[in-house]
Amino acid sequence: MLSRPAPAPRFFPRGLRWLGAALLSLVAAGAAPDFEREVQPLLAAHCLKCHGPEKQKGGYRVDVKAIALTGGEGSAPNLLPGNAAGSPLFRYVSGADPDLRMPPAGEPPLAPAEVAVLRAWIDAGAPWPDHASATLADPLDWWSLKPVTRVTPPPGAPHPVDAFIRARLATAGLRPAAPADRRTLIRRLSFDLTGLPPSPEEIAAFVADPAPDAYARLVDRLLASPRHGERWARHWLDVVHYGDTHGYDKDKPRPNAWPYRDYVIRAFNADKPYARFVQEQIAGDVLFPDSPEAVEALGFIAAGPWDFIGHAEVPETKIDGKLARHLDRDNMVANAIGTFASATVHCAQCHQHKFDPIPQEDYYRLQAVFAALDRTDRPYHRDPAVHARARRLEAERAENVAALVALEAPWRAAAGPALAALDRSLTEASVRTPNVRRGYHSATAATADTVKWVQVDLGASVEIDRIWLLPASDPFNGIGDGFGFPVRFKVEVSDDPEFRTGVKLAWIRYDVTFMADFPNPGLTPFSTGGGKDDGLAGRHVRVTATRLAPRKDDYIFALAELKVTDRAGNNVALGKPVTAVDSIESGERWAKANLTDGLAPSGPGAEEKAALSARREELLLAAADAAGRERRAALLAAAERLGSEVAALPKPDLVYAGGIHRGTGTFTGTGASGGKPRPIHLLARGQVTHPGRLVVPGALSALTFTPAIFDLPADAPEGERRAALARWLTDPRHPFTWRSIVNRVWQYHFGRGLVETPDDFGRNGGQPSHPELLDWLAAEFRDGGGSLKALHRLIVTSETYRQASAGDPAGAAIDAGNGLLWRQNRRRLEAEAVRDAVLAASGRLDLAMGGPGWRDFVVERPEHSPHYVYAKADPEDPATFRRSIYRFIVRSQTQPWMTALDCADPSMRVDRRSESLSPLQALALLNNGFILTQARHFAARVTAEAPDLAGQVARAHALAVGRAPSAPEAARLGEFARVHGLPALCRVLLNLNEFLFID
Amino acid sequence: MTNDSPYHRLAPAAPPTRREFLWSSGGGLGGLALAAMLGRDRALAAPAAGAPAPRAKRVVQFFMAGAASHLDLFDYKPELVKRDGQPSDFGEPVEAFQNGLGPWLRPLWDFRPHGGCGKLLSEVVAPLGEVVDELAFVHNMTGKSGVHSAATLLQATGFQLPGFPGAGSWVSYGLGSLNDNLPTFVVLPDHRGFPSNGVKNWDAAFLPAQHSGTLVYPDAEAPIADLHPHRAGGYVTSAGEADAHRLLAELNRGHAATREGDQRLDARIRTYELAARMQLAAPEALDLKAEPEHVLRLYGLDRGPQTWPKEINAAEETWHFGRKCLAARRLLERGVRFVQVWSGNDNSFPRRNWDSHEDVRRDHGPLALGMARGAAAFIQDLRQRGLLEDTLILWTTEFGRMPSTQGGKGRDHNPFVFTNWLCGGGIRGGITRGESDAFGYKPLDRANPTTVYDIHATLLHQLGLDHTRLTFRHNGIDRRLTDVHGRVLRELLA
Repeated sequence: MLSRPAPAPRFFPRGLRWLGAALLSLVAAGAAPDFEREVQPLLAAHCLKCHGPEKQKGGYRVDVKAIALTGGEGSAPNLLPGNAAGSPLFRYVSGADPDLRMPPAGEPPLAPAEVAVLRAWIDAGAPWPDHASATLADPLDWWSLKPVTRVTPPPGAPHPVDAFIRARLATAGLRPAAPADRRTLIRRLSFDLTGLPPSPEEIAAFVADPAPDAYARLVDRLLASPRHGERWARHWLDVVHYGDTHGYDKDKPRPNAWPYRDYVIRAFNADKPYARFVQEQIAGDVLFPDSPEAVEALGFIAAGPWDFIGHAEVPETKIDGKLARHLDRDNMVANAIGTFASATVHCAQCHQHKFDPIPQEDYYRLQAVFAALDRTDRPYHRDPAVHARARRLEAERAENVAALVALEAPWRAAAGPALAALDRSLTEASVRTPNVRRGYHSATAATADTVKWVQVDLGASVEIDRIWLLPASDPFNGIGDGFGFPVRFKVEVSDDPEFRTGVKLAWIRYDVTFMADFPNPGLTPFSTGGGKDDGLAGRHVRVTATRLAPRKDDYIFALAELKVTDRAGNNVALGKPVTAVDSIESGERWAKANLTDGLAPSGPGAEEKAALSARREELLLAAADAAGRERRAALLAAAERLGSEVAALPKPDLVYAGGIHRGTGTFTGTGASGGKPRPIHLLARGQVTHPGRLVVPGALSALTFTPAIFDLPADAPEGERRAALARWLTDPRHPFTWRSIVNRVWQYHFGRGLVETPDDFGRNGGQPSHPELLDWLAAEFRDGGGSLKALHRLIVTSETYRQASAGDPAGAAIDAGNGLLWRQNRRRLEAEAVRDAVLAASGRLDLAMGGPGWRDFVVERPEHSPHYVYAKADPEDPATFRRSIYRFIVRSQTQPWMTALDCADPSMRVDRRSESLSPLQALALLNNGFILTQARHFAARVTAEAPDLAGQVARAHALAVGRAPSAPEAARLGEFARVHGLPALCRVLLNLNEFLFID
Repeated sequence: MTNDSPYHRLAPAAPPTRREFLWSSGGGLGGLALAAMLGRDRALAAPAAGAPAPRAKRVVQFFMAGAASHLDLFDYKPELVKRDGQPSDFGEPVEAFQNGLGPWLRPLWDFRPHGGCGKLLSEVVAPLGEVVDELAFVHNMTGKSGVHSAATLLQATGFQLPGFPGAGSWVSYGLGSLNDNLPTFVVLPDHRGFPSNGVKNWDAAFLPAQHSGTLVYPDAEAPIADLHPHRAGGYVTSAGEADAHRLLAELNRGHAATREGDQRLDARIRTYELAARMQLAAPEALDLKAEPEHVLRLYGLDRGPQTWPKEINAAEETWHFGRKCLAARRLLERGVRFVQVWSGNDNSFPRRNWDSHEDVRRDHGPLALGMARGAAAFIQDLRQRGLLEDTLILWTTEFGRMPSTQGGKGRDHNPFVFTNWLCGGGIRGGITRGESDAFGYKPLDRANPTTVYDIHATLLHQLGLDHTRLTFRHNGIDRRLTDVHGRVLRELLA
């Protein structure tokens, strides 16, 4: 077990409780009770169990003076010397606080005499001799908090890695294993650097290569392969918990998540310096505004799951909405700090970190860094030239606006309050109430050309003047105004509720709405009617949609309100019964009855706005001279030109990333405030219902290389907060960042990190097995420009990496777990590597790179909660023959076959894959459609590549495990293939331990 | 602070379980790795001093997805009958999920006393009257969120975020298997699909993967994924299958012989033997046709599958829920440790779950009757087989429903109070502990509600596990099913 600070000595006499008349009289006399004799025993008797060395509920303990006097998260400080009545501790134990009583229910309360002692002691200034306090181990005395120090490698081996490892082996009396043979080595290295097996030809060439630099060239070749980025991106995506759906309820797809995945692959292939890689993922948009990649990198912030319902159906004003957003930021913080700094700051959400020097405030400061953000589709231009042009136009637009504002300023001043009043009226005219009691919503249809109707029964035949269709508004899928407004429709009136007889068409605009596509009207009401002369009359008014509005992979018909006005202008449809071919009847939002409830979102009156604008123009220009007017006209013309140039830009690409969300309806984000960060409060016990003081953005206060609170003006744009965090994380003096990444890389090459807990460098995590080596690697990596490829090369060229994995009783007797690396570790391939290796063996691997993920499931019921049905996918679909890194990753319905092979769970951060074995895993490898299909392709391949069965069997064996079968093996395999066929044999080969493990 | 949990004592550092440690060390430790794979070694190698004596060996969890109304099923509120239709007044501002709370709404069905205990049950769950003297009701359950996803995760895993093991995974991790030929933790999802969060309610998360709930579809052609060769493997014959297993074992043994000391290699050979046995054991366990007529009648399954009407209906619900209950009994009988039975799928239209915003009568009626028939038959069946004594049953849902309408015929979410009931496995029957207030709006004693942590603590306690000591270190925290909470509900114990 790791050495951890010893618990504070228990020094209170337990259970001592004394009270009595004598004491009461003492208290009454005003003498300060003696702390050690009178106060400490009662604290020990009543409080210590939960607030002492064993537990520190609420981060509070009564045995350590400093904590007792100043600590206790929600209510700190708990003791106000000289003021018992105001001290939370006293209020709790005396019953003065109605919400919290201590000791808790079930424990005996303090006797009145004890309460009196406490009161007298606090009122007397809470005198507490220093010697009567337990002491704590210095929380800052921990390896990971100390600066990275570069140690000279010990002598004894030319390769620095070996030097450190061997020095440690020697002290333990261990000897390194023999070098692995070349066949083993190329298989190990190929999987490690590219995630794919070497071909038999590559193996043969390497085994036969006499050149002294054969291995070095192999390393270079594999590092230069595009497959390298694909392999290491998968490791990275484990850590950041990337997925292609949101997770939670209604697990919706994220069609634009993949650009981040591709960014990671490109970054690794291009060997992007690590500091830049980190900075781009936290604040690429701010720090590298000219780079489209730096926008894609922000997919990091949005990589984890997202509670769609908690955001899209519950507003931020509600407790559940606050909770959802709090948990969303929590995920961003945990991802950023866990990934880059290997710190478990998320443990300080409810109370001070129990093991590490991370106060709650640090955690909320980090929440403040992300306070303006949501997970959202961010527009950008993948083409750097277009990206640059868009940015230039944006800048010109800003200049144009600024010039206009400056020009108008004196005129504005001259126009005075009248102009301000006009501006207000104009604003009001533009403001509308969104989605008021939404209206009627048909059931969804799979095709646009499904006919849907809704009708209102006016109760009696009525002379109709006009019929009004008021569009609905709903933020769903970003649609907003005009939600569900049909593309083609007709309006009819009849006395027959079935509309079989006496049907009259409301003819105005018939050609516009029924014969041609009607453009979405936004919130502008549509009206039609018979006109005064035509005498349109009837009891039932029916609107029939013949081409539905697109929603999201489906089609609907929705309206906020159907008004029918008579000649006096009264709405005779108000409150009248509504029938429809179908209706979703969803809660109070969408119901047939809402079609005639008199409520609809109102849009600005266009005419009113135009009149107001004209008056404003007149007033504003009253003080302008001719030159000024001319200049203004020129600026406005330039604005128009810029506007059309912007409009002419190609449609922006989208990446699902951390960003300012500009939403309507319930999920508004911070867009409306221009991306102003939400205020972040310290939450007592992590409860959104208990906000405490406001916090400012910052990072971990235990690290003192730079101030923990970011040096930013209060009104700095939100991006500056992220930029500050990015700079903090990549500071060369940072004790976590550089160790964190070299440890992760080490782990993927050896199956275990130098620190066994890559996500936790705190006291609850591991300590480095080779601290000097870890620091040397961290310093070497940092000072060498953060080249990951150089780091790989350094590690895999060591003899430590290249040694054999075979066990040895002598070594096992000393270090059975191989913590000191006296041999290489035999590793089972991860789910993706198994799958890719199967495709490599079958010859069907499609190496196409990038783009939207391939899908090995069928989506059912996409309209509400998509069901991702893997069993219905066709294992012969060649689209699925691509590398596993490009798989579309669903959170709520993880791929069962991959999951059986311990694939990373995209709903949680995975710093190290587990390696389980179970009968279900055996069944998955034997019987899954993927294996059985590929075994057949595998057989077909070897049939084509070798002339006879013996050759085919040998070829299959070599493709699967990288060596020719021995003579007895060949005989046994051949016999099986003769009886049961080559596909059955190939299936067996894909189930071999030798296939699944790398020596 | 030291971590003195006995679960960690054997591990040098995280990953902390002995089991994982054995995997990664890969040698020199005899047959321990093998035993670990088989799940025979309890996470707790030897029971810790003070560990509770087990009263139950296995668990069944009935989960009503979408939030079942306590008011219309189990928690009778005469006050609502009296005030039916009157404007509701909660005495405080209420943040409802969909806003717009309407008037008080009386229970949709009448309540009648049942059993020796005289517990009042709604007509629509009256079949449970047969076993009501076995049930212990908790009417003051409270949750944390009115959002289905977070609330379902909380009841299923003890956390509101995805990424935590299901209760069954913890039990599997803590107690291991009773039968190597069947999965330890089985999930019987609603036939219409998964609830909110899908597999996140029952997967192993950071626990080793073998503790994930295994999906079982008793009526499907492939009741367990990959149990039999996919149709793409037309070339796999039964004769070839036996040969394939022999060849595989032979080659794997040859491979392992030159790599001495790596127990994983041997363990993996053994997984194929177990897989072959599971291929025989699972279909046998799920062969409901093997049940005698009187048992099928008990579950309401004697009339065979039919074509059902399009609308939600009690006959269809009875059929599907009853099949799952019967399958659960057969699985438990054969040594499955934990079975989770779901009623209702995710939030979709038309409603096929308990989320009755629109019409409680239309949706709760058939769902409740189907559930009650199946659950009552299941409990009687266990009782007559002597299995009820050491099988703990928990009926739950993600939250309750409001005592008022939300304008029409439906009820909105009520995360403040809802009902659980427990049964068997050392639970005292015929009792109610923990009341809701007169309207069923919040717990009667708001300061002392019952939480899922208490339920889970009790469940583990009955299995002989101390909920504070069943831990697994993940990302810096020794995680527990009960987080940092939980109280064993001793008042429910026999």
